[in-house]
Amino acid sequence: MIRKLVMALLCCIGVAQVYGQTVSGTILNERSEAIPYVKIIQKSNNKPFLSDGKGLFQIQVSDLNTEILVFSAMGYQKLEVPVMGKTNLTVVLLEVAQDTKDVVVVGYGTSKTKELTGATSKVKGEDLEKMNMTRMDQALQGQVSGVTVSSNSGSPGGSANIRIRGLSTFGDNDPLILVDGVVYDSEGLNALNPSDIKSINVLKDATAGIYGVRAANGVIIVETKNGAINRKPSIEYNGYYGVQQTARKLDLLTAEEYAVIKNEAFAFGGQALPFANTNLGTGTSWQDSVFSSAPVQSHNLSLNGGTLNTRYSIGLGYFNQEGIVGADKANFGRYNARLNFSTDMSEKLKLNSVLLFSSDMRSTLPENGIGSVLYNTINAFPNEPVYSSPGTFSYMEEVSDIINPIAQMMNQYNWSTANKFVGKEEFIYEFNENLSFTNRFNYNYANVDSKVFSPLVWYGEGKYANTAVNADLESPEVEIADSVFITRGAAVYEERSTFLDLTYESFLNYEKTWNETHKVKGTLGASVFERKGQSLNGVAFGIPNNSIDYADISANTAQGGYLNNVNSWEFKERLLSTFLRAEYAYKEKYLVSGILRRDGSSKFGPNSRWGIFPTISGGWLLSDEAFFKSKSIDFLKLRMSYGVSGNDQIPNFAYRALLNGEGVYVFDDLITQGVAIGRPANPDLKWETTRQFNVGLDLTWLKVINFTTNYFIKNTNDLLFQPDVSALLGSYGPGGYPPIINAGDVSNKGWEFEIAYQSDKKNLLQTNLNFNLTTINNKVVSVPTGVQYIPGASFSVGGDVATRFQEGYEIGYFFGYQTAGVFQTQEEIDNAAVVQEGAQPGDLIFVDQNDDGKINFSDDSDKTNLGSAIPDFTMGFAFNFKLHGFDLSGNVYAALGQEIIRNYERQQPYANQLAYVIDRWTGPGSTNEHPRLTTGPTNNNLFSDYFVEDGSFVRLRNLQFGYTLPSTVLRKIHVESLRVYVAANNLITLTRYMGFDPDLGSSSVLSAGVDYGMYPQARSLMSGLQIKF
Amino acid sequence: MKKLIYITLAFAAIVTLPACEKFLSVDPPYAQDAENFFQTPEDYERALVGAYDLLQSSFLSLWIGEIASDNAIAGGESVNDSKGLHDLDNMTHGGVNAELRSVFRWNYTGITRANYILEHQDNIDFPGKAHILAEAKFLRAYYYFELVKFFGDVPLIIDKRIGIIAAAAVLNPVAAQKGRATRGAAKSLLGKVYLYQNKFTEAAAILEEVIASGQYSLYQDYSTLFSVAAEGNPETIFDIEYTGLEGGSYGCLICLEGNAAVGFQGIRQYNGPVYGDGNSYNLPTPELYAAFSPIDVRRAATVLDIDAFIAAQPNAASITYAIGAGGHTGYYNNKYIKRQGEIGLPDNDLTSPVNYRVLRYADVLLMAAEANYQIGNASRATQLVNQIRQRAGIPGASVNNIEKVYLERRLELSGEGHRFFDLVRTGQAAQYIPGFVTGKHELFPIPQVEIDLAGGNWTQNPGY
Repeated sequence: MIRKLVMALLCCIGVAQVYGQTVSGTILNERSEAIPYVKIIQKSNNKPFLSDGKGLFQIQVSDLNTEILVFSAMGYQKLEVPVMGKTNLTVVLLEVAQDTKDVVVVGYGTSKTKELTGATSKVKGEDLEKMNMTRMDQALQGQVSGVTVSSNSGSPGGSANIRIRGLSTFGDNDPLILVDGVVYDSEGLNALNPSDIKSINVLKDATAGIYGVRAANGVIIVETKNGAINRKPSIEYNGYYGVQQTARKLDLLTAEEYAVIKNEAFAFGGQALPFANTNLGTGTSWQDSVFSSAPVQSHNLSLNGGTLNTRYSIGLGYFNQEGIVGADKANFGRYNARLNFSTDMSEKLKLNSVLLFSSDMRSTLPENGIGSVLYNTINAFPNEPVYSSPGTFSYMEEVSDIINPIAQMMNQYNWSTANKFVGKEEFIYEFNENLSFTNRFNYNYANVDSKVFSPLVWYGEGKYANTAVNADLESPEVEIADSVFITRGAAVYEERSTFLDLTYESFLNYEKTWNETHKVKGTLGASVFERKGQSLNGVAFGIPNNSIDYADISANTAQGGYLNNVNSWEFKERLLSTFLRAEYAYKEKYLVSGILRRDGSSKFGPNSRWGIFPTISGGWLLSDEAFFKSKSIDFLKLRMSYGVSGNDQIPNFAYRALLNGEGVYVFDDLITQGVAIGRPANPDLKWETTRQFNVGLDLTWLKVINFTTNYFIKNTNDLLFQPDVSALLGSYGPGGYPPIINAGDVSNKGWEFEIAYQSDKKNLLQTNLNFNLTTINNKVVSVPTGVQYIPGASFSVGGDVATRFQEGYEIGYFFGYQTAGVFQTQEEIDNAAVVQEGAQPGDLIFVDQNDDGKINFSDDSDKTNLGSAIPDFTMGFAFNFKLHGFDLSGNVYAALGQEIIRNYERQQPYANQLAYVIDRWTGPGSTNEHPRLTTGPTNNNLFSDYFVEDGSFVRLRNLQFGYTLPSTVLRKIHVESLRVYVAANNLITLTRYMGFDPDLGSSSVLSAGVDYGMYPQARSLMSGLQIKF
Repeated sequence: MKKLIYITLAFAAIVTLPACEKFLSVDPPYAQDAENFFQTPEDYERALVGAYDLLQSSFLSLWIGEIASDNAIAGGESVNDSKGLHDLDNMTHGGVNAELRSVFRWNYTGITRANYILEHQDNIDFPGKAHILAEAKFLRAYYYFELVKFFGDVPLIIDKRIGIIAAAAVLNPVAAQKGRATRGAAKSLLGKVYLYQNKFTEAAAILEEVIASGQYSLYQDYSTLFSVAAEGNPETIFDIEYTGLEGGSYGCLICLEGNAAVGFQGIRQYNGPVYGDGNSYNLPTPELYAAFSPIDVRRAATVLDIDAFIAAQPNAASITYAIGAGGHTGYYNNKYIKRQGEIGLPDNDLTSPVNYRVLRYADVLLMAAEANYQIGNASRATQLVNQIRQRAGIPGASVNNIEKVYLERRLELSGEGHRFFDLVRTGQAAQYIPGFVTGKHELFPIPQVEIDLAGGNWTQNPGY
């Protein structure tokens, strides 16, 4: 629009001469408001003019009777008005319909939805905001097809994994996330306020290849809100307050059940019975003590508007969420400030400026691991009280590895703050209406401070987590030299890291249509990117009074500072790119597009630093063909794309051997630093290459139903792999790693469906329905030669590797013994065709996979595929009804067909257990499902399908009921709109999984689906208010 | 128009920018490339420290040398806790065994790090270089010997000659720093290698040299021989050095600077005097305990009878400990065990400053006795063995049978990781170890994955 305005302005200068007759008038919209700066063309001579800022115009025409004026303005339909002798005109322009106005950002430019040839999905900011989620990634779950989001942690500020079209690599599967052109990593998303988002566009197929070496995992383009030209300022408040609770507690043994079952297990193990009296009642419900209800609140204030040549949008946000476990020990808080500002600096030069500031603070508890708070909660003994005497926590002395979870939470002081400035200064120079030149400069500066205070603590005799030597919290003495002892005391660790990304991008955009038939679009540009980071960290001992009040390095009283230590790190990486995109459309019916990107990355060595990534795509609007005569189908487009993109997400400098291994030994009783090679060099290291084919169809039916489907084949080759290598390479010392090599292939194939229904705008009941479904077929096609598999997560403590990356299977599939019931009698064992060494009645029957007549426990030959964490189907369903100011909306997400490893049960004789053990084997015929319980040696605890559960779930993620007050009432109090609502998140989850939360992700693909007692997502009830002045 | 030209030129410049290879040649800040590293004497010294580092993996050799023998069971939290050790205990180990794989990997890493110095030995010359190279050769010999003990004749990369004899000539007789390899260490190691090769004449000769040096003597109080306080005593020939100053995680035992064996071998869940608590690994068998004479000071010093110990304490009733589901014998390894006063910073479980006495004078005396007996010098053997027996507080005896040397060796050195290899070396393994299959279990299997990764060209050890 500006381009056209500027163009018109230019020409105005040349038409100062007066000739012929004058026609003047006003240009209004349907609401009779003036439309400023409308472009007007005289059809007789093609001369352009421009109306003024109030929609008024005055034009000299040669012939009032025959002249036809063409009015055009952004967002409005073009209108031809024959003057027909009138000297004063009132022109009313109609706003363009939503579908043609719909443009999406596709990387270094925009495209009309209609003209898209790639597979993209757009999410509107309001749909994200409505979810009332902390982070954008959480809100994105279930919104669009092809994008699978799983939660890493339900704790406040916990991240989620976004996977676009499956897992394509062993390493980093995160998509490239660009917020106003600035790269955000998963961790950085904590800083982004979902309320600041105007729209998200997900580039799923090869057309993401405009981002070249970083595009293989897909690209998510986030735009923040901006203002509008010539609008008076409007102030909007949007806030909610809610209370969260755990959606689920596990069914654990009561004290009495526990005592009975432990007695039996000890008896089976040939040991003395631990409980002489089993009549212990319910005992302690550790879960009741650990889980609490916690508040969550969000307040957003925004100011939007614009004058004749500027537009602005200012946002302020405050968010705070306490944890349902740990309250303020697991807290997330965030302040946001945002300024989007655009102005026409001159006739041809336009500035777009964005500044995002955020300050967030997160405190965390140990979670999702052995020894985490919830792990201890599950395994804590129900016969022990929380407090053994007032003020003293019980110790649970039978087991060293299980500590009192309440005491554990009290002693955690672990928090970090991140202050972040993100911005963009974009200059667009419009040569004429066809050609523009954009130069933009992006920056992202983050300052991350973290602190961990480790007080002297005592959890009971022999507990692994003790830092004091006794219950009086006396400090251990450390011998630092022969007979020289110093007091250790409480410790504090502090770290300050700064990160700076700088991007400079420069590109030309060209767009021209000839004879309304041949449309050509072109983009040619270059991009320079640098990221650097540095960190300084230190640990100091002897924190006075063992108190958080003095938890700072500055307060340390460490004798001589001998134990204190400092460390630092620094890195830098660069990317240099040129890109070209050429598009051609014939009568908006046949569309072809080609992309070529060349990237140079400092991550790779000189041998293969540069890569070229081509993409080609096309579309065919069948519905525009003359032969297409369907009355019900309004729009039908076929799309196809194929292209190559890359993934460079590996550690920096992996191509060269650095002396960054650990070479430390002790001479003269002092730690002596040496050097060692960290990772052997691989000068030929290069990016992973993904070749993706996509065929898709977009269809509009009866004007109210939009349907989109895609089928894709995504093959990733040259995986950036850190495979096991021969020990002879010497890569397995401390701080040593195998070389990263390019080897192995992964394939993802799948279908995506999106169907949306929007009722006619005239209907009294407004209905909006969206459904999407994704299927993914993931398979490892090959692994490096000589490598059988890459081992992943372990089962239990010191147990076998339970997940693998192996040819012919899904990434991270579960590998263990298959069971076939429970041995009922000794005869059954003796007569079994398969010899299972050590088996006793009540033990699990393992399946002989290699048919050698026995179960091999010392190798893997009888283990098999037990499932994987990758869902077969993911589905999202959203609904929205409006009637007379009332609205009801909801969002359902389902992931089906994935498995979860139940790994939160500590295999300790005294650990508490889930109530399913009540149905254990107790004698012939008692059960064929659950094995006997014993503290003696047994193979029942080896990793088998007994520990694998169906992880499928359907979840009502958000339900909201709102009421918007009638505007007649509001006008009197000078309020433009006012809506109140109540909402609930995670109200209902349907699943057969026994653990806390089946929505269980992991940023590491090989530990996905392994549940150590994950911090569950909270169920929250909220009420909110939206008011606009 | 002029503006347009400028902009076009500027744009052309930007587009051609990518030709700028230099922009992408980012050097890692403050990091040292592995190539062109050896420029100063300090560089050699620092690389040597890196080569010493892998000695600290010794805890596995200690465990396996005991657990696979008749001296100890695996123990631990459950039978699946370090399952590889349980398999070794039961002689059911195969080509997939995490602990054996670590032994294989870590010792090859040690060799690689020593070779890194030796490959670049000609870069510069400086006084003291010969000694650094000799230390590197000693370390390489040590790591290679570990591999051969476990896996047989595995490939030695780069250099087929070990160079330990030459190294012995160069190394200082007395270590410049506590923990450095010395001439005595190199000769003792060489003597051990000869013994394993049944080259008794060579073994006797070199071991007698160590004895004749007069540098070493038996430390009289056997009961405190393995304490931190006794480190560096005259019996020390070569210790693997540990410190309690740096903690670590279970995820990377090789990254520790403390002795992992000590905490792991501690008493599970122990709450009482003298000892700290631990993970009840590597538990001595009753049979080992019974092998000692009641008057032998080494019995109590080697094997802790936990129940007897507790019963003897004044507050016996308040002392508690737990039994791990990985096995319980009532005995703990009293040489390497977590003791109060020897705890580590910052975690007690993983970090212990107790050195592993990998080569001590008593071992040399017994090796010399064995070699001498085998070459017909029984009187010298008697003389040497009786030095050991005297310190142990038991009467002298005439060595008229090689079995007597073997038994003395077991009594003196049990709990220190030698037993399995001694039994194999002397052909007694099948006699003492239940499940031991002659012709198979003398060697551990080469980790199957290593055979695969080497391109399948290696043959697995017989029987696996």
